[in-house]
Amino acid sequence: MALLQVDRLSKIYQQHHAVQDISFSVEEGQCVALLGPNGAGKTTTINMLTGLIQPTSGGIHLYQQGTKVEDRRPYMGYLPQMPSFYSWMSGREFVCYAGQLHGLTRKEAEQRAAEWLQRVGLEEASRRKIGGYSGGMKQRLGFAQALIHRPKLLILDEPVSALDPVGRRDVLNLLRELQQETTILFSTHVLHDAEEICDQIIMMRDGRVAIQGQLDDIRDRYSEPVITVVAGNASNPQVKAWMTEISRKPYVLRSELQRESMTLTVSDLELAEREIWKDAMQHRIFIRRFEAGQSTLEDLFLKVVQS
Amino acid sequence: MRQTILFYRKEMLEMARNYKWIWVPLVFLLLGVMQPIMSYYMPEILQHAGNMPEGTVISMPTPTGGEVLAQTLSQYSVIGVLILVLSMMGMVASERQSGVASLIFAKPVSIVSYILAKWCSAITITAVSFLLGYAAAWYYTVQLIGPIQITHALAAGGVYLLWLCFVVSVTVLVSVGVSSTGGVAFVSLAFIALLSFISSLFAKVFMWSPSQLSGLAAEWLHYGESARPTFAILFTSIGSMALLLAVAMFIMRRKSPIGTHA
Amino acid sequence: MNLTVNWNIIAPILVIQLILLITALVSLYKTSATRGPKWMWIPIIIFVSIFGPVLYFVIGRKDA
Repeated sequence: MALLQVDRLSKIYQQHHAVQDISFSVEEGQCVALLGPNGAGKTTTINMLTGLIQPTSGGIHLYQQGTKVEDRRPYMGYLPQMPSFYSWMSGREFVCYAGQLHGLTRKEAEQRAAEWLQRVGLEEASRRKIGGYSGGMKQRLGFAQALIHRPKLLILDEPVSALDPVGRRDVLNLLRELQQETTILFSTHVLHDAEEICDQIIMMRDGRVAIQGQLDDIRDRYSEPVITVVAGNASNPQVKAWMTEISRKPYVLRSELQRESMTLTVSDLELAEREIWKDAMQHRIFIRRFEAGQSTLEDLFLKVVQS
Repeated sequence: MRQTILFYRKEMLEMARNYKWIWVPLVFLLLGVMQPIMSYYMPEILQHAGNMPEGTVISMPTPTGGEVLAQTLSQYSVIGVLILVLSMMGMVASERQSGVASLIFAKPVSIVSYILAKWCSAITITAVSFLLGYAAAWYYTVQLIGPIQITHALAAGGVYLLWLCFVVSVTVLVSVGVSSTGGVAFVSLAFIALLSFISSLFAKVFMWSPSQLSGLAAEWLHYGESARPTFAILFTSIGSMALLLAVAMFIMRRKSPIGTHA
Repeated sequence: MNLTVNWNIIAPILVIQLILLITALVSLYKTSATRGPKWMWIPIIIFVSIFGPVLYFVIGRKDA
């Protein structure tokens, strides 16, 4: 069942098309990563989803038990990239305030604030002023204030990119836990983070969706046979000539030549491997390393980003 | 309603935590106390001001109680207004600037409640500060200078408070529209100064302007009456305050809470 | 100069100023970041009567 449906969403700032005509849907219980390089339009998309900025055109619909809701905000929790708070409040006070803004009574809010602060590991600091919190603590406080009303959809903008390795690990673990409880949509520019916890990705580039779908599907669909060859003795002028010759063979779809190595995307792995070895022997080329395999998601990501 | 109270309580707590609840009333109190005391000592101060040939007798008309209280109000019109605007310039602008607004407005909150609570809390501290200072000024004036008719003092105080509320409403609107806090202070003060200046220049056209409120208060203290159209001024003042708030809410809705243009 | 000063009249002004000054100093002590060096605000608050503390409260603190 679709929880969130985004329909031909666009945002235009004067001449600049920040987001162009993107459509996707998020199923209940999924974890979706909005992946893309900086400036791809991820934050703009998220700001439109949370209702903080108005789209130029297109629609965003959230469904609650099959029916479209008028106001999405009660069902969503949001954590911006660099959350800032009232520095004069204590962590507890802020989370409690957030809960009350979501319509909880003071008592409920206080109780749940205590629960969430404990869960994100802030109970000891909860009575201190937020002004003295570190970046990682603010991030965790941001989680608590976004989750206090048990949202159907949790939206996070680059939740791990500003954290140190330990903080990153903590947040990813927390996200993995939360996945059992709610639907998550988060943006990131690090593929690895998306792969680690998500089942679905939406890859964005220049304000458009480049690729979207189930992670496994994408891996299958887009992975191609790849051969990497490292030739020895790079000073030998014959090596260069040989590599250029190989890259023009019919079984090579795309090639990338460096000084002493080449990466080839081929049509048939077995055939290509045989041919290359044969050719190398004929030309007396010394091959230092030969690697045949499938392209990874990382390769795909880089291709999307750089193309 | 519930949300308005929640926002209001947060504003109150914030003003307590950042000492606004101490320093703003204290400054108003000081301004209120100083004017009557200065008037009381004025002849003596002048006498000792030096450069006077021996035996000079300074004769100046002793001011009445009402006149001294009116002078206090004119102090408030300059320094009081300045303090109010400066203490409130960040009300909306700084929450937007810091980014905390994006957390708040991602929640199901109403802009009407948000603005209304900001306004109410600003009015609360303004009223308390002014009334405290005015009461002190009144007391000192009666003790040191001379009696004032109670009804005149009360009416003048009420009318003058309405003027300060108008100033607060202007600041709320500007704080929504302008993003930098310094800009908020400048635009608000410039607008209030300009309004006062223009309405004194074209008194006929601006007969009903809220800027007549301070003049109205002063005349009541001086003469116990005023030729200005009192009810019309009160009416336009309250009306324009409602309008300022409505425009503030409208702009807030149009402008994204995170500062980028809609 | 021998101004006849009635201290009963002047005392409240001095007391209010003192409270204002102390409040500003307490706030300065507690605040984490100020505009300009923190020590610079101490003489401003103490020696510039009324306007020193007010100036500090209005523009002195970074996280208002």
